[in-house]
Amino acid sequence: MRPTRIVAAAAFALLASLPVAAQTAADTISIVDAYVRAPAPNAPATGAFMVLKNSGATERRLVKAESPAARVAELHDHIDEGGVKKMRPVAAIAIAGKGEAVLKPGSLHIMLIDMKKPLTEGDSVPITLGFDDGSSKRIDAPVRKLQMQMPGMSGMQH
Amino acid sequence: MRPGVRSAILSLLVAAVGAAMIWAAFFWQPQPPAGPPHAAQPLASVPAGGDFVLRSAGGPVALKDMRGKVVMLYFGYTFCPDICPTSLAVVAQALSGLTADELRQVEAIFVSVDPERDTVEKLKDYAAYFHPKIVGVTGTAEELAALARGYGASYRKQEVGSQGGYVVDHSSFTYLIDRRGGLAASLPHGTAAPRIVEEIRRLLNETPAAPTAARG
Repeated sequence: MRPTRIVAAAAFALLASLPVAAQTAADTISIVDAYVRAPAPNAPATGAFMVLKNSGATERRLVKAESPAARVAELHDHIDEGGVKKMRPVAAIAIAGKGEAVLKPGSLHIMLIDMKKPLTEGDSVPITLGFDDGSSKRIDAPVRKLQMQMPGMSGMQH
Repeated sequence: MRPGVRSAILSLLVAAVGAAMIWAAFFWQPQPPAGPPHAAQPLASVPAGGDFVLRSAGGPVALKDMRGKVVMLYFGYTFCPDICPTSLAVVAQALSGLTADELRQVEAIFVSVDPERDTVEKLKDYAAYFHPKIVGVTGTAEELAALARGYGASYRKQEVGSQGGYVVDHSSFTYLIDRRGGLAASLPHGTAAPRIVEEIRRLLNETPAAPTAARG
């Protein structure tokens, strides 16, 4: 084989492998069911919840979150010790390859602290999720109010 | 001192410090700064509950003024973004599941264990957001500690490196107080509203109606 052919073959191999290598966390992670809980009046913080699904084979890590709606956004978890709830910041949330991470009440969540203006139902909160490979993804999470009515009652009071 | 001796002393010192560091790294286990408040409370002891007077935006709230009613009591703080709102929403759901007649015989109290940040004015709107029946109260550190002890609740201020400031680890039971002012049930976080309604109805039926009218 002539040297130029080797170079061409190598270049081709490199190019062919590029689309795979270029898959970032932002490419393989999709966000479903994202929402921000409408905070009660005077509550300085609220939670954003969602499911992060990873279509790639590699484990990815959510390492930060940012939102123009809040002064601070942090990744938090809850530890339960005999009924005592301990909320703690966490450095990262892992999303297993071909797996998912569930951010839900009482567990992992993105904590929004010091909202710039009160959030009410119907608002949409932009959140930028940053992953460990440096890629990021922006989502818009609707604000949802907590359910204050008895489930299944639908106003049926005697 | 001869240079040989000096260097010998020096190397001895270095060796001693090194040995101390190795010992510390492997064997030194500092005592945790006192266990969680719950640890002091043996599980076998059933909390006695008891009367209390705390402050709300509308004036003092005294349990003894609520004789004849079933009282729901919850400890939390407004900075809590998740557990407290979830519990309070369930309390609101339970209240919404009662008939108007039952509702008149029920009170709900949200006790903030974070009086440093939660003023009674803040607590008023915060609590009422969930249900107009829920009254937000707080007190001095001593009053809160005594109340929590009485009900077997626990809370502890913790610096956890959040940019939002300290958090308060807290137990997350909803307490039900019967019409005679006695602690009747400690319902764990996650207890569904229909179950709470059942408990309230049981308590409303169980005790003969106390003279609520006489108390005004």
